[in-house]
Amino acid sequence: MSGERGPQEPSVVLDLSRRKGAATRAAMRDSLIGARRVAAPYLTMTRIALARLGRDRMARAGALVLACLALVAIFADLLASARPIACRRHGVLYLLPDVTHPAALAAMESAPTRRDRSPGDWTLPALVAHGPTETAGDVDALLPPLSAGHPLGTDALGRDLFARVVHGARTALGLGFLCSLVLVALGVVLGSLAGFRGGLVDSLVARLVESLTAIPTLVLVLVVGALVPHPTTATLLWTIGLTRWTELARLVRAEVLRGLGEDYVTAARALGASPARVLLRHVMPNAIGPGIVAAAFGVASVVLLEAAVDFLRVGSPDTMASWGEAMGEARLHAGAWWLVAFPGAALVATLVSLHLVGEAARDALDPKLREAIPDGGGGTGA
Amino acid sequence: MLRYALRRVLWAIPTLLATSLVLFFVTTLAPDPAPGPDDSAGEELRRARFLDLPRFVNTHPLDVESLANAAVSEIASGGAELPRGARELARLGGAALPYVLPLLEALAPEARGRVAVALAPVAERMGVGHGDDLLRPELAVLFWSRFWDDRALDFTRTAVDRAVARLVEHGTDLREADIVSLDTYALPEIVSAMSTSGDRLTLARLTRIAHHATGQGSVLAADSDATQVRRAQAEWKEWWFAHATDFLALDGAERAIAAVTETRYGKWLRRAASGELGVSAIDGEPIAEKLCERAPVTLLVCGAAMLLSWAVAVPLGALGAWRRGRPFDWVSSAVLFVLYATPTFAVAELLRRFTADHAPSGVRAVLAIAALSVGSVATLSRWQRSAMLEVVRQDFVRTAHAKGLPAWRVVVVHVLRNALMPTVTLAGLHLPVLLGGAFVVEEVFGLPGVGFETLRAIEAHDAAWLMAVVLASAVAVTVGLVASDVACGALDPRVREALSLRQGGRPA
Repeated sequence: MSGERGPQEPSVVLDLSRRKGAATRAAMRDSLIGARRVAAPYLTMTRIALARLGRDRMARAGALVLACLALVAIFADLLASARPIACRRHGVLYLLPDVTHPAALAAMESAPTRRDRSPGDWTLPALVAHGPTETAGDVDALLPPLSAGHPLGTDALGRDLFARVVHGARTALGLGFLCSLVLVALGVVLGSLAGFRGGLVDSLVARLVESLTAIPTLVLVLVVGALVPHPTTATLLWTIGLTRWTELARLVRAEVLRGLGEDYVTAARALGASPARVLLRHVMPNAIGPGIVAAAFGVASVVLLEAAVDFLRVGSPDTMASWGEAMGEARLHAGAWWLVAFPGAALVATLVSLHLVGEAARDALDPKLREAIPDGGGGTGA
Repeated sequence: MLRYALRRVLWAIPTLLATSLVLFFVTTLAPDPAPGPDDSAGEELRRARFLDLPRFVNTHPLDVESLANAAVSEIASGGAELPRGARELARLGGAALPYVLPLLEALAPEARGRVAVALAPVAERMGVGHGDDLLRPELAVLFWSRFWDDRALDFTRTAVDRAVARLVEHGTDLREADIVSLDTYALPEIVSAMSTSGDRLTLARLTRIAHHATGQGSVLAADSDATQVRRAQAEWKEWWFAHATDFLALDGAERAIAAVTETRYGKWLRRAASGELGVSAIDGEPIAEKLCERAPVTLLVCGAAMLLSWAVAVPLGALGAWRRGRPFDWVSSAVLFVLYATPTFAVAELLRRFTADHAPSGVRAVLAIAALSVGSVATLSRWQRSAMLEVVRQDFVRTAHAKGLPAWRVVVVHVLRNALMPTVTLAGLHLPVLLGGAFVVEEVFGLPGVGFETLRAIEAHDAAWLMAVVLASAVAVTVGLVASDVACGALDPRVREALSLRQGGRPA
């Protein structure tokens, strides 16, 4: 990432600026690659950070939990779905009929299962054969865990809790990931612009940051959800993504300002580097650290917000599976401890692991702590 | 110090303006009532939310004069717009007469007759003339030109002011009839008298006159109670705020100002700044009052949670940093970390399960505060701990140790005081989180605060209340941020210097 900052760099750059023409491009490239190769044994910040992150046992545990949750979220349909994973009907083989043959599903559902079955038909059902939105009358309502067919029990509408938790992971992590994409993009761009351009842009961004900070996000999300004519998950996504970038912008701006004062930036400017090159090659690589950390914490805060909003808006027509919504239902049914326990455990596990990873990343990327941590081999005296 | 505080407060003003822009954007998200043909209720709703105005700049602010002229030309043209013009003229009523009647002479005879006939409903409201005469063009024109010769002097602001003052002073039917005969021309004075007068009978008379002239708003019964009086006052104030320009003429300077104020943003901002937050859609109560009624609960919960978490978190974080690496630090860090990641609503829900549903409100309030504090304690003490660790590394701490000071003195006087700074700054930033959390615990424990009411408003889609709540919380948070900045300045002279440098030294 910052390999070109080896000792050879100045001569290389001078070299480039003197020669011109297509014929010399290859030579230029070779010399650049050569410079990189020479610089490679040096420790770069990325390598240090990755090495430190790998050494942190808690961060590894957190990352493992997150990876499992991500797998659960991606393959939620294999774990809990009313539709089979694979089946053979009338001699036709359907793989993941939910995804590949949505049109054939209606017929499959309405067909009487036993009588209509032709020889050679088989079905491979999902781990739990219930979808997250499938309601089953009063008979199955509020079943305790370990009931037949419902390993984690059901909620007041007879929806399978296991399916709700599994698909809730998809909602929480998917939304968290998308939101933090938006907020990291906004935060990095606006923060670096504010730091780099200064003046009017800086003042404008500062005011915007302050004013957005002043509005409690939970309240804003609730209110926007109530005012928009047809609230969807996208509404939630944009509301959070467009308002939560402020903290990151502040960090990136400070980091950019610090970077602009460094000698190597002055040197790059003296060599005639364009402002864009100075920003992108010399200043931003150091400012990207807070962005990575903020992404981890951003996902955590979005997951938390989404859960809180669904917890408060329980009973709204929005039937998407969500941990917060399941926990909110427990408020209405005092005895149903499983409605709090399982989604709550999933939520806390997600948040704890996100924070573990985020904190470890922050520590790993903090250059001030570099001396405090023993050098991890491979260093050639950097 | 005072200068610093004042400067900080002044810097909050552009921030609040920017916030208001963001909030204004949120108001535009609320669904527009679709304007159907001849849907007067929908039209009224649009008026009440200023949807008929341009967003930011009004190049042609309308007043009674321009509206009346437009209506007259519509009637005079006699085409398909005639009924609409006639309706508009009847709505404008007495306020339009000073602009319409002198114009009559200049019109063609036929158009003149049509306009005069269109004024018949106004005359009926004012209780002048005879119904049949006014429907015949020649007689109507004659009537109105005579009317204006006789009564022009009554249609002046000073005359109306005097008449209304007389009515407020001692209400008689005769004086009431006097004002009724001025129709909508007297509305500005009537509405302003409504808000100043506390007498029930006078108010009943005033609302009756206003209702008679406009056909809108409610009439106060003479035997109504204090709440009804308050509601009627709020309702008429609200109505006048949206409709004032229909009955007032703007002169040059007012017209220039109106280019900014007669816009959706201008109206919304003026209303928000003056605390007129509209009327609740749930029970028709004025929102400002309702907010004042509910806010103490929320502020109490927030404030108590803040104090409690400070009282617990600062010593906890300091102890953790002091005993760094020892079992105490290890255990407290682990516990705090899990608490830090636990959502407030989960804590609240767990606490609620251990109490009876019908616990007294005091118990519920204490539990709510405890639930809200858990997250803040975790956050604040973690900040405090890392800030302490940062300061411990500094040279002056080594110096203090080297001077032979006792360890507790180094920690309390030298380290803690410096380490409080970032925590104070961050505590200000933590305020929005705390406020959001207060909404959650209020709902879980059923405390009648702003948050509890807001969730009811969300179910009812009460836009006015929701906007007021976002606005109020933004203001509260801004005040908190300013307070925490000022506290920082009080604790640390370097911060004061930085702010004055930043503002003095930069060309921007």
